[in-house]
This record gives sequence, C-alpha cells and structure tokens, in this order.
Amino acid sequence: MKQLKMNRRDFIKATAVTGTALSFSGFGSGMLVEKANAQEQSGVQIITTCCRNCTAECGVLAHVKDGRVIKLEGNPEFTRSEGALCVKGLSGIQALYNPNRNKYPMQRVGARGENKWKRVSWEEAIDKIARKLMEFREKYGAESVFASTGGGGNPNFMSPGRFCNSFDTPNWFEPGAAQCYLPRTLMFMFCYGGGTFYNSDTSLGDNNIHEAYDYNNLKTKAAVLWGTAPSYSGPSQAGRVLVENRARGVKTVVIDPRFTPDASKADVWLPIRPGTDVALGLAWIRYILENNLYDYDFCLKWTNMPYLVNTKTKMYLRESDIKKGGRNDVFVVWDKKTKSAQPLEYPWNDSFDVAIAGTYSVNGSECKTGFQMLKERAEPWTIKKAAETCWLREADIVKAIKIYSEKPSWLSLGVATDQNPNSTQMAHCAAILNIIMGNIEKPGAALQRFKNACRSPVGTDPLMNFLSFDQLKKRLGGTEFKGMMQWWTGNVAKHLNALKTGKPYKLKAWLERSGNKMGTLANTYEWSKVVHNLELIVHMYMYPTGFSPYADFLLPTNEWLETDLPVDCFNKFFPRQATTHLYETVNEYEIWAWIVKRCAELGHEQCKRTLDPKETAPQHPTFVDYQDQLDWWCKSYDMKWEDLKKGSVEKFPLSEMKEYYVYKQIDPKTGKPKGFNTLSKKCEIYLETLITLGRTGAPFVKTPLPPAPHDYNPLPFFIEPEESPNRPVGKEFPLVMTNGRLPFWHHITLRNIPYLREIQPVADIWVNPVDARKYGIEQSDWVWVESKRGRINARALVTEGIATGTVYMERFWNPENINEKTHGWQEMNVNVLSRSDAPYNEVVGTYTLRGYQVKIYKAEGAPKGVWTKPEDFEPWMPEISKPTKRVSGVVK
Amino acid sequence: MKKKTMLIDLDRCIGCFSCEIACKNENNIDLGVQWNKVFTMGPTGVFPDLEMYFLPALCQSCENAPCVEVCPTGASYINEEGVILVDHNKCIACMACISACPYKARSFNGKNQVIEKCTLCDHLKAPDKPACVKACCAKARFVGDAEDPQSDINKKIREVGTKNIHTLPDAGNKPTVKYILSDKTAKWHDRKSWVFFPEKD
Ligand code: SF4
Ligand code: SF4
Ligand code: SF4
Ligand code: SF4
Repeated sequence: MKQLKMNRRDFIKATAVTGTALSFSGFGSGMLVEKANAQEQSGVQIITTCCRNCTAECGVLAHVKDGRVIKLEGNPEFTRSEGALCVKGLSGIQALYNPNRNKYPMQRVGARGENKWKRVSWEEAIDKIARKLMEFREKYGAESVFASTGGGGNPNFMSPGRFCNSFDTPNWFEPGAAQCYLPRTLMFMFCYGGGTFYNSDTSLGDNNIHEAYDYNNLKTKAAVLWGTAPSYSGPSQAGRVLVENRARGVKTVVIDPRFTPDASKADVWLPIRPGTDVALGLAWIRYILENNLYDYDFCLKWTNMPYLVNTKTKMYLRESDIKKGGRNDVFVVWDKKTKSAQPLEYPWNDSFDVAIAGTYSVNGSECKTGFQMLKERAEPWTIKKAAETCWLREADIVKAIKIYSEKPSWLSLGVATDQNPNSTQMAHCAAILNIIMGNIEKPGAALQRFKNACRSPVGTDPLMNFLSFDQLKKRLGGTEFKGMMQWWTGNVAKHLNALKTGKPYKLKAWLERSGNKMGTLANTYEWSKVVHNLELIVHMYMYPTGFSPYADFLLPTNEWLETDLPVDCFNKFFPRQATTHLYETVNEYEIWAWIVKRCAELGHEQCKRTLDPKETAPQHPTFVDYQDQLDWWCKSYDMKWEDLKKGSVEKFPLSEMKEYYVYKQIDPKTGKPKGFNTLSKKCEIYLETLITLGRTGAPFVKTPLPPAPHDYNPLPFFIEPEESPNRPVGKEFPLVMTNGRLPFWHHITLRNIPYLREIQPVADIWVNPVDARKYGIEQSDWVWVESKRGRINARALVTEGIATGTVYMERFWNPENINEKTHGWQEMNVNVLSRSDAPYNEVVGTYTLRGYQVKIYKAEGAPKGVWTKPEDFEPWMPEISKPTKRVSGVVK
Repeated sequence: MKKKTMLIDLDRCIGCFSCEIACKNENNIDLGVQWNKVFTMGPTGVFPDLEMYFLPALCQSCENAPCVEVCPTGASYINEEGVILVDHNKCIACMACISACPYKARSFNGKNQVIEKCTLCDHLKAPDKPACVKACCAKARFVGDAEDPQSDINKKIREVGTKNIHTLPDAGNKPTVKYILSDKTAKWHDRKSWVFFPEKD
C-alpha cells in the first residue's frame, strides 16, 4: 500500500515518514528587518522574536534595555498576525518575570504531595533521574517508563516522543491528541490526503486555511465555523482574518453551543447540543445529496464515490475481483451503458457511463457505490430529526446549509468535536462536506497544497524507527486505537488504568512536561490517587503547577522570551530568539537530550546510537549542546542560527506561494494527473483504509500489528452521548456540560498572570436565565457544579448566550492555592467532572471532555483562599532579576 | 486647534481584550486601575435570536471637558494636540474631576494618591501609535486629529458614512470619541449613564 503522507503539526513536519532534510534552492532574498538588533539612541534594543503562548507563534518585537525586556509589540512583518498580539502574547513579560517561576532544579524532601524541596545541581538531577530510569528498565522493562506533554506553554513538542523512542518505551501521551486535533489530522489525511504543509485540514487554530489570510484576493463566498471560536482562541490570527473576511462579504455560519463573538457576527448561529455534531453533520450530508447541492462532476471523477464496494467484505472491488489476472490497484465502477462492472483505470475512462449511485450484483455479490453507501448512512438524518436531536430549529439548519452551498466555501472544524467519543466520525463528516461540495484546491477553498518549500524543518525528529516492534506492540491502547499511530502516541485512559491496576504491566516512572496535568486530564481525582503508585515523577515547566507537588524532581524550563527556535510563517522564516535568560532555566529539548546522554553513559545501547548522526540519518542525532541543534535546523535554509537571529527571511513573495488544482498537474513519471495522496489517488469518502488500519496498523507500520477488537466503521455514525439528558443519568444531572476557550488562556496556562486574572479572576459557568431561575441562582452567585465524579465551584454568568439545558465552563486552576491541600486544582477545575471511562472513540480512543451531565446549586461563597480582587494578584507582579548565563556542560 | 481622539469600529471589534492589556503594559498601570476597558453589550434578545457587541470604553476626549473645568489646581489640562491629561505633580486627588466626568472615565490610584486616565499614549509620538491601536487584533481602533480631514479617523468616517456612527450620551461635554456600529452587527444600546471605572462588584 502506498505510504500516506502525514499531516501538518509541528512535530510531524520533521518525521521520517515525510522526509526530513528539505533543501531550499535559490535561498535568500534578504533580511526583512534590517534594523533588528540595532542599538537605538535610547539604549533600547529591539529584538525580533516570536510568541509561543499558543500554537500561532505571532511575530513579536521585544524591546530590551540593560538586559531586561521592557515592552512587547507585534511584528507587522509577520504575515499571519500583521502586528496584532493577543492578551496571552501580551502577557509575556509578566510570565517571564513572574516571581513564582521554577528557577533551579529541585528535589523533593518531604512526602509525595507535601510540596517540600531542596535545590540540586543540574548534573545531580540528570544523573539521579537517569539512574532511576535505567534501574526500572532493568527490573520492569523500558515500558515501565512513560512521558507526557501538552500543548500549553512553550513546548518542544516532539521531544518527549523522541526520548521514548530512544529509550525504547512505547508509552507517552498528551491530554490533547485524541482529544485535540488528531481526529482531524487523521481523517483529513485519509479523505483528502493533502500535503505536508498548511491547509491539509481545516483547523483554524493550527494555521490552516491560508485563503482566508489572503483577504485582499478573496474568492471565498461562505465559511462555516464548526466548533471553533477564533475570536476567543486566536484573535490575532484566525480571529483577525475572519474580521477581514466578513468585512469583504464572506457569509458565515457558526455552530457552537456558546454565543461567541464569531457567533454574534455570523449570518446563522446554530447553538448545538454538545456531543451531537455528527447527527447534524449527517443531516447536512443528506440534505446536500438530496437537493443536488453537491459538485456532481468532482464527486464522479475525483472522489472514490462511484467505486463499487462489496457489501459483504466491506472492501472496494478491484479489477482482480472481476477479472482473472486483474490488477488489485484498479477499482471498479458500474457502467450504465453495458450494465456491467468495469475496471476504471486511474484517472478516468470516457467510454464508460459511470453510475455514481446504486446497488448492483457483481458475480453474485451485492455491491454498492461509495456514494450509495454514504447516502444510506445519512438517510435517517432528516433535518427534522437533526433539529430534535441537536436542539436546533429546522429553518436555521436549512439556512446554514444554503449559505454553505454558495461556493467556493469552506467548512472549518475546531477542537470541540475532538472532545467526545464521536471525534473521528465528526472529522470524517467535515472532510466529506468539504469534498462533496468540490471545495478542494480551487481558489477560495480551505484544502490546498500550496508550495511546500517554506516548510520549516523545525521539529525535533522523533526517531520513530528507533522504537522496536516488540515494544510498539506493548503501547498502552496501541492495538485498540491504531489511529493514534499517526502521532505515535499512546492512550491516556489506558495509562490511568495501568497506573490503577498494574495491568497489563506496572508503570514506575512518569516524565512530564506541561502546564498542569491536574487541570487537563479527565477525572482528576482518579489521577491524584494513582500518582502514589509511581516511584519517580519528574515535572519540567516554567513554574510550579498543581501537578508539581506530586513530583520528585522539578526542573525549570525557559519561557518563550528565553527560547531560541526557528519559526515558519507561510513564505517567511522568523527567529524565536532568546531576549534574555534567567536563573538556571533551560530549553525542554536539552533536558530530554541530557537524560538520553546520561542513560547512554550508563549503558543504554540504543540511547548511545541516537548520539551518532550515521545511526539517526536522515534524522538528527541527539545534540547535548542546543546550539548544534539550532544550526542543524538552520542548515535547511543554508544558514547558521546566528544568521537567522539577525531577522526574518523571506523565501519568496507570498503571491508565488499559491498553487491551485495540484491534483490535476501531470506527474512526469506517469504522464497522468498527480491526484491525491490517498489509496485511490482520489478524495475518499467511504474509507476502506480505516478497516485496514484497524486490522493491521497500515499505513503506519509495515509489519502488521494484532487486529483491533472490531473493524473500524468506514463511514461516519452517530452515538448519543453515554451521559445525556435523554438517559436516566439526566434525571439527577440534568445539564449538559461543554467547554471552550476564552481569550485569556491557552489550555491551562497563564492563571498566574496578574493582568489576566484581574479581568477573569475565577472560573465562570454560563447558565441560561431559565435554568438560573430553576436552580435559584442569580448573576455572579457562587455555585457548586457536580457530576458523577466530583464537584467544584464556579461563579455564575447568567446569559442568554447558552441554551437552556446546557452549561459552559473553561478549565481553571488556582496557583494561589498551590501550597494548600487542594494544590489549587480542586477548587474550580472542570476536569474534576469530566470522564475518563468508556465509551472511547474506536479509532483513536477519545474520551469525554465535553458533553457529559452535571447539576448546579448555590454555594455559600468562593472556595477558600482563592484570589478574586485585582490587588490580590500583587505578589505575582514582575520581579526584577538580572540575566544569567545559559546552563551548559551538564553532560559532557 | 488640534483634537486628538479615537474612533473604534465595533463591527470589527471581537472583544479580545488586547487593547486592555496593551494599555496596562504600556502605561504600567497598577492592579485595580484601568484606563481602558472592554464592555460586553449583550447578549440581548431571546435565545437563540440574539445580538451582542463590544464597547471598548476609555476617556471620550471631550471637547468641553468638564474634568478640566472643575480641576482646582490646574492638574487636569489640555495639551497642544488636544489631549486631556493630568499633571501628577499638581493633582491633589480631590476627586472633583471624577465626579464631573459623565462616564467616570478617570480612575483613582490609591497607591499613588493621584487621578489617572487614558493619555492617548501621549508619550508615543507619531508615526508611533497608541499601544491599544497597535495591538488591536481586529484593526478596529483608529487614532488621529478630528480637525484634520486627512487623519485616519476622518478617512475612516468618510469610508463608512455618518449613518452608523455613534457617540456616548452628551451632557454638553461633547465627547469626540466615535464608535462605528451597523445594525447588521447589533443595534446600538442607548444607555443613559455610564460608569467605566471602577467595575462594580
Ligand atoms: S495568538 Fe497570542 S498567544 Fe498565540 S502566538 Fe499569537 S500572540 Fe502569542
Ligand atoms: S470623558 Fe471624562 S475624563 Fe475624558 S475628557 Fe470627558 S470628562 Fe474628562
Ligand atoms: S491610547 Fe494609550 S492610554 Fe489610551 S487606552 Fe489606548 S493604550 Fe491606553
Ligand atoms: S483590541 Fe480591538 S478587537 Fe480587541 S477588544 Fe480592543 S478594540 Fe476590540
């Protein structure tokens, strides 16, 4: 089978699968910001850098005086942000100089959870950690060591994965992945098979939909924002360009339980019941097919919809199925002229009159076209039924579909639907909806394969090939949820289960880098119990979090203003460069590399091999000096890191980046159109590839893995949420809980920023006035929010902006209470309420972070010790501290 | 006479709060004190037929500034660009200006015992622009001389026409800050009175 191309995400950019070393011919049209780093008269140096308080990486001009960062401004040269900065980016200085930072490596002295520490040297910390890991590997196997990361706060995303592959443990996870973005990258890869750069899927939060950014050449007529709120999650980029799109007449549909700023500016708002998106998606598909709103020619010639599927085997018919000696990579269609099944050689055969729909008998077997299969799947989902299921008005749904039918249009799917077990099914629906409208690679469409040449190689190469097959087979959740292999990660709930039960084996060490696992993992109380079953916990982050008290080692990492890393932005490269350096903080990359090096010295053969470029080629070796890593990355631009530091570089004018209809380009090797990077070279709707994935693990592994417990379903299907108002649990817990961003934070970060907490000091729960009256709650009352798993406090925000029967909360934790028994994560942390138990999404194992049941009732007041008044946050105001030298020579 | 002031396009504003934080950063404003604040207007209507917009509130740069008139020490003054400022060396924190301001657009800083307000970032001279204008995610804020037909704000007003231009209630103080809001986004709320700062509990 053809190796499918992976999708875009920082770490995937540099995987072995897509090829690492990109060469950039004709490099060098010069520095954009000539005055960068120039001494200004005032003694203020302006340093070109990039934010990393979220994945958008906006360009920043940092003003530095006497080694101290005094001001941040947006960099107007940065194409995606054009000088805008969101409040998270603008909080960079308060984050950098926060008195509450992790400053030096610390080792636990009290009991686990007691939060008592002593300072140790970096050498000592790395040595002790490595020795422990080697001991566990010896006694229990490498798989007893696991790592985790998370999207929030200046990550070097693939470093933990790389470490695990080097150490030969299959176990690492992030709370996102199956709950954030992976369902979309996976399903869009199977359906559209885009390139390796932006626009392979439609996530606005991950720098896709470049057409929207080119708003002065706008071709788009309509845009659907499904479960995405760019004004909240990315105001300086996606939120900003949507302003420009709307101002130029693009009509918008917003599907979101919350009345967000984007909803308020939309032509139609569909306040969907959380967790029911697939029902609505299938209704859209049904309506579009029934009313012939789809792009017939594109569906016929450029999708696999006319190909015949054997309903018994569930697989596509091949020429070899109907003809002795036939090829097995040629699919079969029904020719209406001859009333027979005929092999259709790619790309097309004009002598056939190909049926797009229908059920046929081929050699005695029942066969249906892919189109027919989809139509039948969507058949029950009338507009009426969807309206009832999703709590919407029929007329609004129809109006929304009609707007989307004004082509070219695009449908963006956000994170919302990744957060319940219907995750991949909804991503599948979203891909189908873009494809059947023919919104593919044409001007104004979201899915594109624009020039790849500016793809930044900045990703830590994951060394996936270093993980042995025997160890891969042990990955927690790996056999069941094979779709996770696209990101090469394990399943969160299965880690929790192994920690709880010791099955299928005992876990001994947890190496963790993120903003607060006690805020991001579902069903937090369960996690707080099982951490005591571990013998070693390492937490690396910029400041202590509610997770830190459970650790044995706390390792201080760089803020983004202390970080060096090349950043890409469409046609340009920018440096994220250190503006200063404080205390003994280091780049996360270095910590993982140092542990690998130390393990190598202690006799870990495979870790040792990762130090040798000949062994890792074409991926990079483990560099213990980060400078070498930076130069390695910059090699692809034919430059040194020192050169990039001087300012941004434009590879080619933005206008040259666009390339439409790539699938129609003739491939000189075959003389045929290039098509798409899918099994059939066409956009795929009915996914045989999902069945194959479940049975073998292809296309992610060459040697088959044991099959999943059942075949994955090749078409989208809706499951009513396990906890729902329509089930018995709805009696005691009548309200559906949903989640979603506010402008102030990225994931669980930044709750220690005084200016942000001044605006949003506590967690609000949005309640409709009808429900508020019903439960005796008034505006700004403190309430209890309770699910089957626990209860927390929140402040009531009574608003029409949420449906009766639905409530909304953003994640929260209270760093001010870190030294209390609660460690700050028990007061207002919505994930105390969410679910880590089954059902899981069958392909990637998604659990339930949104769309479960709660009840609310009045509380006596604010939880103990939480800060609510602006002045309370004074202790976190910036603390002046002198720059220090970078830490070096920790391992030789 | 010059009159530096601001125009904010509420059809564009997405309530991102960048102007609020940029203002606090640029002017090193103490916790509990605000010069600029984003109000959420709505949602109004009955679910799901709702409207909402955001109103960034700041000194309205009055033409007949009552705050200046009532100031007993001359601490509140109007500079050559028409910006209303407070000279902290002269301010005795008598609160007269706060009482006189129809929007309570001034704040008392308890720590320094002085009155503070939006300065239109007077220290950032052209071509530099106020921090809130530069950081604004929606490019919704425009600053310039109301008397200069070529200023950014007058150009923008010519572009959108006068129909969708709104000002806060005028008690004879003649606010010069203008807001753009069309019915397509939401209907303008005709609030009779405003208290920008401090936020009520
Ligand atoms: S959107 Fe905000 S947090 Fe994200 S990179 Fe841009 S400025 Fe930073
Ligand atoms: S808004 Fe208030 S502070 Fe500003 S000029 Fe008018 S009266 Fe003075
Ligand atoms: S002009 Fe300056 S002082 Fe006034 S609100 Fe904007 S940032 Fe604040
Ligand atoms: S920064 Fe601009 S878009 Fe954001 S709230 Fe302020 S005025 Fe509105």
